[in-house]
Amino acid sequence: MKKQYILYLLAAVLIAIMPSCSKTANYKALIITGQSNHDWKVSSEAIKQILDETGMFSSTIMTTPQKGEDMSDFNPDFLKYNLVVLDYEGDIWPEAINAALTDYVKQGGGLLMYNSKSDPGGIVVPDSVILLKRQDFAISNEISDHPVTNGLPARWLHPADVIVQGMKPAGEDSQVLAAAYIGNEFRGPRQREPVMIARNLGEGRIFTTLLGTPDDNENTALHCAGFIVTLQRGAEWAATGEVTQEVPFDFPTAAGSVLRPDFKTFTADDLFENIGNYDITRSTKYFTYLQNEIRKAGGDEKKLLKLEKKMVGVLKDDQATNEAKKLILRELSWMGTDYCIPSVKKLASNQELTDDVNFALTRLRSSN
Amino acid sequence: MKQKTTRRVFVRRSAAAAAGVFIIPNIIPSTALGMGGERPPSDRIVMGAIGTGSQGMSNMRNFLHLKNAMQFVAVCDVDSKHLAQAKQTVDNANSNNDCRTYGDFREFLEKETLDAVSIALPDHWHGIIYTEAINKKLHVYGEKPICRTIKDGQTIVAAVKKNNIIWQTGSWQRSLANFRRGAELVINGRIGKISYIEVGLPDGGRGIGTPPVKEVPPELNWGMWLGPAPKVPYRGVCHWDWRWILDYSGGQLTDWAGHHIDIANWGAGLEYTGPVEISGTGVWPMEGIFNVPVEYDFLCKYANGIEMRVANASRLKHGMGTTWYGELGWVHTDRGNVLTASDPKILDEVIGENEIHLYKSENHWQNFIDSVRSGSRTIAPIEPAYRAVSVALLGEIAMTTGETIHWDPVSEIITGNERASRLLSRPYRKPWSLPTV
Repeated sequence: MKKQYILYLLAAVLIAIMPSCSKTANYKALIITGQSNHDWKVSSEAIKQILDETGMFSSTIMTTPQKGEDMSDFNPDFLKYNLVVLDYEGDIWPEAINAALTDYVKQGGGLLMYNSKSDPGGIVVPDSVILLKRQDFAISNEISDHPVTNGLPARWLHPADVIVQGMKPAGEDSQVLAAAYIGNEFRGPRQREPVMIARNLGEGRIFTTLLGTPDDNENTALHCAGFIVTLQRGAEWAATGEVTQEVPFDFPTAAGSVLRPDFKTFTADDLFENIGNYDITRSTKYFTYLQNEIRKAGGDEKKLLKLEKKMVGVLKDDQATNEAKKLILRELSWMGTDYCIPSVKKLASNQELTDDVNFALTRLRSSN
Repeated sequence: MKQKTTRRVFVRRSAAAAAGVFIIPNIIPSTALGMGGERPPSDRIVMGAIGTGSQGMSNMRNFLHLKNAMQFVAVCDVDSKHLAQAKQTVDNANSNNDCRTYGDFREFLEKETLDAVSIALPDHWHGIIYTEAINKKLHVYGEKPICRTIKDGQTIVAAVKKNNIIWQTGSWQRSLANFRRGAELVINGRIGKISYIEVGLPDGGRGIGTPPVKEVPPELNWGMWLGPAPKVPYRGVCHWDWRWILDYSGGQLTDWAGHHIDIANWGAGLEYTGPVEISGTGVWPMEGIFNVPVEYDFLCKYANGIEMRVANASRLKHGMGTTWYGELGWVHTDRGNVLTASDPKILDEVIGENEIHLYKSENHWQNFIDSVRSGSRTIAPIEPAYRAVSVALLGEIAMTTGETIHWDPVSEIITGNERASRLLSRPYRKPWSLPTV
């Protein structure tokens, strides 16, 4: 009887936690915009897409009265949301709203400050700031064990953005998570400007990003995978205090910046749909992604075999390029099993691939 | 001519006598040799150079600075421009026009009668050319990392042992006072028992995308440059930048292993062993032909309980260099004569007469020539070089597979992981193969 009771309880718990396992949006985000020195229509739409893309957030955009207009009807109910995003620089809000926002955070709410150099809520105090000329720059983690930055490359390149010089985050407990290094100087005397700041306030959290400003043209900085991913991670941390999102394979590195034209990364299905057309001069990203998937499997036989079967599918595909087959043979050479060997052997008659087939078969037969 | 041959035989015999025995280098003061400290030409070590790019020429100049101790007579390179520059340098030093040139190392090794050879090549050629030169019983000054794969390294180590030749690795930090002093303080327990070591190596740099296929410049024998590596069209990436492509190199990680990991091992007494467990992660570029990790961070556990973290410098508190942590504090060494400690008093410690005094060399190239002459071991022999790069190569395997690797440092095999074991070697493109020892 007692046992049965525990089972019921377990089932209830499972049902309760199940939604969080799937990709249903659990968190409501309110994006407040309407006044800014950048094109807030572009940025707020982008933020909405980026947050919703996680599958964790369902975002709503709310527009404030325009500059100089009466604010008395502007009265957002912060408490209905898990995350409030400020894409706003403009008229000071009525004191009651500021106080409500502060209370909301102190009581456990999450606040994400996007490129706000002045703060309507009295939470981050602005200093005198200078906006530097739009440029590419390097970003370096200052704190690598914070949930937002944990697992990210220590250094990465960020394209065509504005560096805010002289920003001093309010609150002694503010943590500068990452900083821009001007002129891509990783070493030696260098000018460091905070670009991501985290702060705990009461029961809540504030994440500030100074990256991703629109440029009235292609908005390159907004499409930077580094900006997108840190915004998604910062949002989750602000809303919940932790980050469950994996670091995607396309996070930029010191080797180069990475753009996501539609704000999205791609999936394993995209990978095998596209890798057969592999053209080294066009892009190496599908192959990089394949290698990442293999590493992520971490020796798990089932996962590796699943990948191997798809890789063999490319070897068998008459439409797939030799370039794609070469790269797949190279990976199979160490991670393949007996499953791939007949398909590898069949390619030996393809003169373009003879060396690669030999490479793969030699290694597949070797061990210690 | 007869005199020269006789001396060379002497050099080789004494090397054989010293093999396997630790001997304090027996440096004969030059004044004892007469000639007012100058050696007669017939008494100079006769050398050749294979690989005369930037590192090969740097080594050549360092040898030539030794004046009269040695003489280059032949050079070999697959780039005829490099070759011509090398010949010019040698001819200038010898005040003649006699330096012989080769575009193929096989012909070089076949035709030349030398005492020693200085070799500086891309890593993918090390296994074959080091082993062939050693099999010819030449003494070798060889660049680090000594191998691209563990299998290559094992072959080179076996060849050195079998042929009893004198080997010096280009791990020249060993011949600098601050590194030696740091290692000596640590090995004599001045920071207590060592529990943890951090090794910071350079971060990776920017990629270049994938440049278009280009015509091979007339001075370059591209097929020979590639040698045992997979055949690829020429895209203008060759000298210097080969280091950012996995077919030829492991990147900054394997390049610098022969410096700061080597120093770490020297101080911690790990020169003749390896880790038992390796795990970690890397960061790879998403686009372009440069495909070595630009970041790396892995932990090696040793059988005696020591742990060594190897990472790109940006990830570590002390950045570049070696930091040993012991019960009583830490010691850090790096280039630029850096030697610091948790307590500056540690650095004033005197090493007593009966304590360990690490091998002392003040000039890495002189040390090689002296060792060839005396038949005693160099400051940077082959096995420590193999053990240092093994740490990086095992780290590379752990990062590539995403698995924790178990390594048996005695039988030198990966245990319980067939996939990872396959990464211990790279198949050679026909007709090349790893020579037998």
